[in-house]
Amino acid sequence: MEAFLFYFCGAVMLLGAIGVVIARSAVMGACSLILSFLGSAGLFAALSAPFLAVLQVLVYAGAIMVLFLFVIMMLEGPVMETETSRPKLWTTLMALVPAVIILAAVAIWLPAGRLPGFTSSVPEDFGQPMPVAAKLLGDYVFAFEIISVVMLVAMVGALALARSKRNQPWT
Amino acid sequence: MLAIVLEATAKIGFMFALIMGLVPVLIWAERKGSAFIQDRTGPNRAGVLGIRLAGLIHPIADVIKLLAKEDVVPAMRHKFLYALAPMLVMIVAMSTYAVIPFGDYIMIGGEKIELIVADLEVGMLFVLAIASLGTYGVALGGWASNSKYTFLGSLRATASMISYEITMGLAIMGLFLIFGTFRLTDIVAGQGDLIWGWLPKWGIIVQPLGFLLFIASVYAETNRTPFDMSERDSEIVAGYHTEYSSLKFALFFMAEYAHMVVAAALIAVLFFGGYQIPWLPRPVLEANAGAMLTGGLIAGGIVLGIIAWAFFRRARREKGWYNDAREREPGFLGSVCVVLALVNLGALGLQPWAISELGASLYATFAQIGAFVIKVAFFSWLFIWVRWTVPSFRYDQVMRLGWQIMLPAGLVNLLVTALWVFAVHQP
Repeated sequence: MEAFLFYFCGAVMLLGAIGVVIARSAVMGACSLILSFLGSAGLFAALSAPFLAVLQVLVYAGAIMVLFLFVIMMLEGPVMETETSRPKLWTTLMALVPAVIILAAVAIWLPAGRLPGFTSSVPEDFGQPMPVAAKLLGDYVFAFEIISVVMLVAMVGALALARSKRNQPWT
Repeated sequence: MLAIVLEATAKIGFMFALIMGLVPVLIWAERKGSAFIQDRTGPNRAGVLGIRLAGLIHPIADVIKLLAKEDVVPAMRHKFLYALAPMLVMIVAMSTYAVIPFGDYIMIGGEKIELIVADLEVGMLFVLAIASLGTYGVALGGWASNSKYTFLGSLRATASMISYEITMGLAIMGLFLIFGTFRLTDIVAGQGDLIWGWLPKWGIIVQPLGFLLFIASVYAETNRTPFDMSERDSEIVAGYHTEYSSLKFALFFMAEYAHMVVAAALIAVLFFGGYQIPWLPRPVLEANAGAMLTGGLIAGGIVLGIIAWAFFRRARREKGWYNDAREREPGFLGSVCVVLALVNLGALGLQPWAISELGASLYATFAQIGAFVIKVAFFSWLFIWVRWTVPSFRYDQVMRLGWQIMLPAGLVNLLVTALWVFAVHQP
């Protein structure tokens, strides 16, 4: 069961990642990326880390990608089928040859006919809300606070840059 | 293994039946309720052999119409995403129910079965995560239709959903602090307590501001009036689903009501004690099951008798009004009431006052499930009530309310709650 979940979520992630690369329209690319994130959330869930899985969906698939999509849709508008040219042979080769080489390298490096087994190397309460909170707000509280300050500065900076005119009000 | 599968199937089936049963009723309530509020009659035509049930047959006619309708699609659509969007909306609306507890537990064959599909440690965060995915169906549907109206509708919907998701999360953070858990079953169990011995410890009592913020942001998330700018008829036709017809439109339409039911269930679970009946905790229910059941059956019989009498009076009065099948309706409904009343009184023959322990436990479970369903139905009705009595906001007003009023209010609420919880737990 565990192995099945791992390979299934891994396949979903890979499919999503390939989709991002080969998608014609940016919107389809963003959708493929969401699929990939959902796959990684599934991996966390299979590791019995529900908190991380849910956060993966909530933050990456839910919040960040919605903003991505929002911006792409705003810029692209309701237009599609703009790109009609077929990819040239040599660009396809340029993409395929390194991919095959890497795949072959991985296949040779792995012990023949056997993939790495599953060992329970993660602690029992890995990825539950309590341990994550203890790490974030206990062990690494200083880094956590510093990051929030950096984010705040970035937000204010983005607002300042987005103002088109000098005398425009801040709202 | 088989038992687990059966158990899960039964629970999923119950939740599915609750949603799919409430959706047509809500559509009916929306039409009849709006008619009542605007002093109209509302739907009263569709009927089977003269039985019209005050318009309740109309949803069935709707389903037949939508199934039989031609599926008109825009030629320049994005084929894949256009077909995917309505499914996404429906999937998101349905999957939230997995973590909502609809009852305490039920004893079957000496085994205690929790009445929740998936009792996740992070239940409420799961709800938020699924809700954040709900944006995609709307956004992609509007974009893939390749029309200006749908595009504007989906941009508006996305903007309001992004803005209010944050407030929605903040509004319930205070609740998590007070009950110390994300698990919805624990939150509901915690609301069974009493403060000072008489006030139920419901979410609305301990977090009144959180409740207001949550209900407002939930209305914005479901795109209902007063936050309905994504489908405002006078500005952008029907918004993001303008270009959808037939069953694809039906999916959007049903998903809206399914979203309402899930929002109502969340409000009930988080702020109104879920399946808890105030001042009647489970032990009291079980101890007095016999007396309550007997009283309930007698009262039910009497009430049904009075209703039947009213129907029969109406049947006599309306004789000769229509001269067609419609005249059968009051008489038929009156007979149904008489039969039900007789069943109620006949059930007294089973000696409900001497109910066994197992029966008392079952009675308590079903009473609590009933309380949950009543709460969900009431808050679903509240959505309709608000839609037809409150004028809607302009787009900029929605944005200002979300970012400049509700978000700071949510932060203040969280801060005050955190300080209070800190003061109580660490003197």
